[in-house]
Amino acid sequence: MSSRSRRLGRVNWPGLLTLALLAGAWEATVRWSLLDYQYLPAPSAIARGARTLLASGELIPNVLHTLMVTLIGWSIASVIGIGLGLLLGLSPTAYRYSMTSFEVTKAIPPITFVPATLLIFGFSLRMELVIVVYVGVWPVLINTIGGVRGVPGELLDLGRMLHMSSWTRVRKLIVPAAVPEILVGLRLGLTLCLVLAVVAEMVGNPAGLGHALVRAQQALQPEKMFAYVLSAGVLGITLNALFRSAASWMLPPPAGGPEGGTP
Amino acid sequence: MTAQTATRPDSGRQQSAREERGNRKRTTPFPLLRGLLPLVVLLSVWELAGSPGSPYFPPPSTWGSALIALWENGVLLAAVVATLTTFSIALGAATVLGAGVGLVVGGSPAADRALGPTFEFARAMPPAAMVPIATLLLGYDETMKVTVVTLAAIWAILLNTRAGVRRIDQTLLDAARSLQLGKLDRIRKVIVPALLPAIFLGVRVAAPIAVVITLLVEILTNVEGVGALIAQSQRTFQPARVYALIVVAGALSFLVNAVLGAIESYVFRYRPSTAGGGE
Amino acid sequence: MQASDQPITQDAPTADRTEPQAQVKRKVTFQCRNLTVELGSSEGATCICRSVNFDVREGEFISIMGRSGSGKTTLLRILGGLLAPTPDSSVRYYGERVEGPPPGVITVFQNYAASLLPWRTVEKNVALGLEGKVGREEARERVADALAMVGLGKRAKDYPWRLSGGMQQRVQLARALAMRPSVLLMDEPFGALDAMTKTSLQDELLQVYERTGATVVFVTHDIDEALYLSDRVLVLQGDPSTIGESLPVHCSRPRHQIETKQSEGFLALRRKVYEAIMQRHE
Ligand SMILES: Nc1ncnc2c1ncn2[C@@H]1O[C@H](COP(=O)(O)OP(=O)(O)O)[C@@H](O)[C@H]1O
Ligand SMILES: [Mg+2]
Repeated sequence: MSSRSRRLGRVNWPGLLTLALLAGAWEATVRWSLLDYQYLPAPSAIARGARTLLASGELIPNVLHTLMVTLIGWSIASVIGIGLGLLLGLSPTAYRYSMTSFEVTKAIPPITFVPATLLIFGFSLRMELVIVVYVGVWPVLINTIGGVRGVPGELLDLGRMLHMSSWTRVRKLIVPAAVPEILVGLRLGLTLCLVLAVVAEMVGNPAGLGHALVRAQQALQPEKMFAYVLSAGVLGITLNALFRSAASWMLPPPAGGPEGGTP
Repeated sequence: MTAQTATRPDSGRQQSAREERGNRKRTTPFPLLRGLLPLVVLLSVWELAGSPGSPYFPPPSTWGSALIALWENGVLLAAVVATLTTFSIALGAATVLGAGVGLVVGGSPAADRALGPTFEFARAMPPAAMVPIATLLLGYDETMKVTVVTLAAIWAILLNTRAGVRRIDQTLLDAARSLQLGKLDRIRKVIVPALLPAIFLGVRVAAPIAVVITLLVEILTNVEGVGALIAQSQRTFQPARVYALIVVAGALSFLVNAVLGAIESYVFRYRPSTAGGGE
Repeated sequence: MQASDQPITQDAPTADRTEPQAQVKRKVTFQCRNLTVELGSSEGATCICRSVNFDVREGEFISIMGRSGSGKTTLLRILGGLLAPTPDSSVRYYGERVEGPPPGVITVFQNYAASLLPWRTVEKNVALGLEGKVGREEARERVADALAMVGLGKRAKDYPWRLSGGMQQRVQLARALAMRPSVLLMDEPFGALDAMTKTSLQDELLQVYERTGATVVFVTHDIDEALYLSDRVLVLQGDPSTIGESLPVHCSRPRHQIETKQSEGFLALRRKVYEAIMQRHE
């Protein structure tokens, strides 16, 4: 098998075909009014809507705004989450005297804080940032604590055996061992930050993809709405993929490797 | 002599077990209460420093009276019932659909390959952003709420079921066949019970998502529920009510988790408890 | 000690087991002719076994040995009707082509943890194959008998995770015995157990074998175990593998963990089997 045909073989043709067939069925449904949805745009109309948005320069600035808020909020959240997580993970006293508070607060769905932040900060960028940071802190915090506290006892014994100072132990053993779990938290946080940025824009800060989406809804322009939703989806996929490749570049390759065959 | 040496380790073990149990009983409530300290301090400071008329930070005592007022005119109960109804119907639908589809794509690699990209695509669409589209297509009603929440909650169940199907040990299936179990019995007595933990894990993951998305839809669309009540309180500048309802939302999500946890430990009571492993 | 034991167990059905000549007259339980197995993976099919020919006779205890990956498990799954060989192969059970698990043939798997249902108690696990096939009363009796036979009568109500590995494997054996099998197919059943548990389970298996008169096909990678238990040892060789050697074990029954294993015949066979397994394929 040549390398090119192998690469072609890896493309999921049946999967893409199914997707295309579904899109075709959707198109037909709308064209021939098979279903009674007044505002259901056909895929072709959505594509046209997206092209219009690109051409008129409405799409890119909105995407950039949402992206910017997401990344800034996520960075702040990560710093807070990792810092606080290390503190709580490393200090049993801090853990004992605060973990229940965090558990209780965590139980409150962060989405309900959106109206509260709106009350406090009004329709502003600050409101959006606060909610994005808040939601992004949680997974990073929880996973950092979990990663640090989950370091195997053997590793800690090793540190003691080698007479490492506690700072060296943290730096050379505990934090590296916790990195994979922290990375999972960071990835979850990134996804949540994007989602909450869009939500905050829908109800609060009049900017970005969320606001554009609501405006298109009020103008009864479903093809534009779908185009914005797709953009949000693509943005999410892209951020996730970028994060994954950055993380895999940072981490050593997973243990095990190819399955051991018979010699 | 031999009798002594034989009994000593045994009695020692019993004693240590008793001590452990006693310790656990004595100390368990304290770390929990101790851990509440920062929250208690925060709320106390808030109570002492906040003025009752504050448009941003009304003290916690005012939340209570706001809540009582909401309870007395029946608004709160109606909202809680509406939210829980949407949540339950949607989670039920997501469980049935997710487990069904997960079973199919887990069992058939061809179906998995054919449907994979479609699922990836659908899953990537943020449910929050779908809400305006759903309202435009379906209107502002219960159907719209349930649809959006179901679509958000289905993935965790679908993916966990799929993974569960793939994880079923061939040995288990071989054993069932070797014992001459018919196809129906194999499904009923072996495959379904073997998949139940995976499906339930999916439900445990999906439930908080369903709670959040239910509240989100209510906040965004004002269709009856706790979320709508919060948004409405914010729009009419009633901060004490907002905070009180946030606490209610937290209590609801806690309750949902506790109920599912209780169901889980009942359904899977055959499993070793997490406290002490088998020897 | 041994002298007083021998006359008791040597009468009745066990008597002719010690005489290999007598086996010739017995019915053929499994007949494999030109047995070829190909297993598919993403890279295409690989041939695991080619032209394997052997018979298993009624009441015989036969062991299959071979290096890891030589296809022992595969062969056993074919006998158990869990896997189909290539179409031109012939596998017959009392003259009938094997298509699906034949009645009365029960497999005992190495991985007891994966083959027991964790959500059923020990007795319900043992009852699994009986449900709907025999009456409630009879099922209860058979389960109790089977559990007593493996010494687990007192653990009937426990869930499997509460039992040690050896006990769990006994449950699996009991589950097979409750079916009153005419053939037991055992795939390295004691491979994951410690040496002490292993020897006591070997002796229990031999007792069960004497009492039930079942035919046993036993896969193992432990030479001593194969020789200690069997009437005949088949050794798989080559890649794709075939039966390289079929060695009768002329040690008298009942067998004894120390005396049998130290007898001249045993030691000579041991060397022979070892050489057969280690032989490089050309
Ligand atoms: N489902 C399968 N597809 C392809 N190859 C397989 C499959 N199962 C087992 N094999 C291969 O068949 C050979 C024999 O396996 P097995 O019968 O399990 O060996 P044994 O039990 O003697 O260790 C091994 O090389 C193994 O890799
Ligand atoms: Mg094997």
